[in-house]
Amino acid sequence: MIGDTILIVEDEVPMRRFLCSALASHGFRVVEAATLAQAERAATYARPSAVLLDLGMPDGDGLDLLKVLRERSSAPVIVLSARDREDEKVLALDAGADDYLTKPFGTSELLARIRVALRHARGQTVTTDVVIDVGPIRIDQARHEVTVANQRVHLTPTEFRMLAFLARHAGKVLTHRQLLHEVWGPRNAHQTHYLRVHMAALRRKLETDPTRPRWLTTEAGVGYRLVDE
Amino acid sequence: MMRPYFQAALAVGAVTALAAAIGDHITIADDAMLYVIAILFAALGGRGPSIAASVVSVAAFDFFFVPPRYTFAVSDTRSLITFSVLLVVGITSGGLIARLRAAETASRERERRTAALLAFTRDAAAATDLAGVRAAVARHGVHDDPRFDEAIANQGKLAIDRLELAEVAREAALRAKAEELRNALLSSVSHDLRTPLAAITGMATTLRERTADSVELDTIISEASRLSALLTNLLSITKVESGAAPRRDWVPIEEILGPVLVRLDKELASHPVTTSISETLLAHVDPILFEQLLLNLLDNAAKHTPATTPIDVVGKRDGAAAIVEIADRGPGLAADQRAKVFDKFYRGRTSAPGAGLGLAVCRGIALAHGGTVEVSARDGGGTVFTVRIPDGEPMPDVEEAEAV
Repeated sequence: MIGDTILIVEDEVPMRRFLCSALASHGFRVVEAATLAQAERAATYARPSAVLLDLGMPDGDGLDLLKVLRERSSAPVIVLSARDREDEKVLALDAGADDYLTKPFGTSELLARIRVALRHARGQTVTTDVVIDVGPIRIDQARHEVTVANQRVHLTPTEFRMLAFLARHAGKVLTHRQLLHEVWGPRNAHQTHYLRVHMAALRRKLETDPTRPRWLTTEAGVGYRLVDE
Repeated sequence: MMRPYFQAALAVGAVTALAAAIGDHITIADDAMLYVIAILFAALGGRGPSIAASVVSVAAFDFFFVPPRYTFAVSDTRSLITFSVLLVVGITSGGLIARLRAAETASRERERRTAALLAFTRDAAAATDLAGVRAAVARHGVHDDPRFDEAIANQGKLAIDRLELAEVAREAALRAKAEELRNALLSSVSHDLRTPLAAITGMATTLRERTADSVELDTIISEASRLSALLTNLLSITKVESGAAPRRDWVPIEEILGPVLVRLDKELASHPVTTSISETLLAHVDPILFEQLLLNLLDNAAKHTPATTPIDVVGKRDGAAAIVEIADRGPGLAADQRAKVFDKFYRGRTSAPGAGLGLAVCRGIALAHGGTVEVSARDGGGTVFTVRIPDGEPMPDVEEAEAV
């Protein structure tokens, strides 16, 4: 992991200082950009392995830069956003951002997100393994079998598809739209309540305490994440 | 006053003279016709002159033309018919003309009143204050006709109502403007507070990593997180009070409660929390706002009850509404406190930290959903907060949601 270059696109100096300091002390190379124009140049010459992008930039819409980055490279983009900006996050995720961090966040959250993003980038964005292990949960995609702590769990086909999709992107947030599109097809991309009801059922089958989910977490207003650690 | 009678007499005299002058060339029937003309002419003066003219005409006709002439004697009964015709013509034409005159006068009076009312209405509508309306009433009002005065009074009242409505609208616009300003201020303040707060949290956690146990850094981190929670509440109350409609969806209560319990892990560590939520309980809520509501209620319960006392969360449906109850075994609330706990900045008789915003946010969010949050004493001691959110639309059928 040492030597990975992270491009930080952030206009607030103290925030940039924190990001630089935190990343540098964990062995990353850091390139900073205070404007979108700088960021666009830096993305070309520094060839970053991942990008931290603050969406509220003074010289334009961070989403535009995101689109440019998506055209030029497969480097994962992690969006930095405020708490009440769920729409903005969803837009960025659906436009190709890999994940997001809600300000304020600490070092451990920052590093966890970057590690997941880099791992996914190396594995060609999604895991192609037939058998995926996430914590105590094992998903065998070939045999359509799921076990939790070696105990066989029976899932409906819909639940299995949801879980397998989340597991292939383990650690990464998936928006409602992405999940609906994958599991129910493009026609039902707005029926979020289907998703929520099946997610509740899935939690009851997989979580020790479904009211305090450990693995299948809800990202309010955004989507779901299968926590991977 | 007497002039129409004089004119009537003149007309009868003139006709008599004319008839006498040309009497040799016309018949007695023609004489009668001439008198009819005289009576009709007299009738222009009204009913009285008309009748008078017909009576005098009958007399003159009888005296001068009906044989034997120059007496009032009548030798021919046919002349009696002529007399009656003349009398009837006099009476009816006079009556007709009088009625016509009356109608004309009335219509002219009506026209005058309408014009006056119109002028008044115009003046009253142009008035921008009460004094203006009063001046208009003084200028146009108080006639001898009570109906007209009533009309003026009605119009005046309408003008005053209009002024009052305009005043109310102006006040509402002013209030909305102030509210808008307050919200803009609040949201920009909280943004400007949050930006440095994000840097503080970040820096402190970075330092914390490099430092062995540090109460100082832990305090900075936890206080920053408390400040962040307060800002979130400020923003939530701004959001619901700005009147923006919540973005409701059908959400299992469990899904909303989950992240709340995880986020309050530390606060709830010393309280056993039981949850009793029916598996399929869906609520029609804005997931983000409702999470904030549950977070505040549970945080409130954790803060104001002694350690080790349980907190029980119950979720259920009541017809077309979702109900969530959060019950504690704390010291309970006095009735006068219960009435005030949802007020903004009410902090109660407590030493627990807080700005008194949490429950106000809860009420704001419930109200934004057309629902309520109420507090009552719990049987056996403690307090129950009951959130009731009526469905905004019929519940969808989720049983058929199996993907194919």
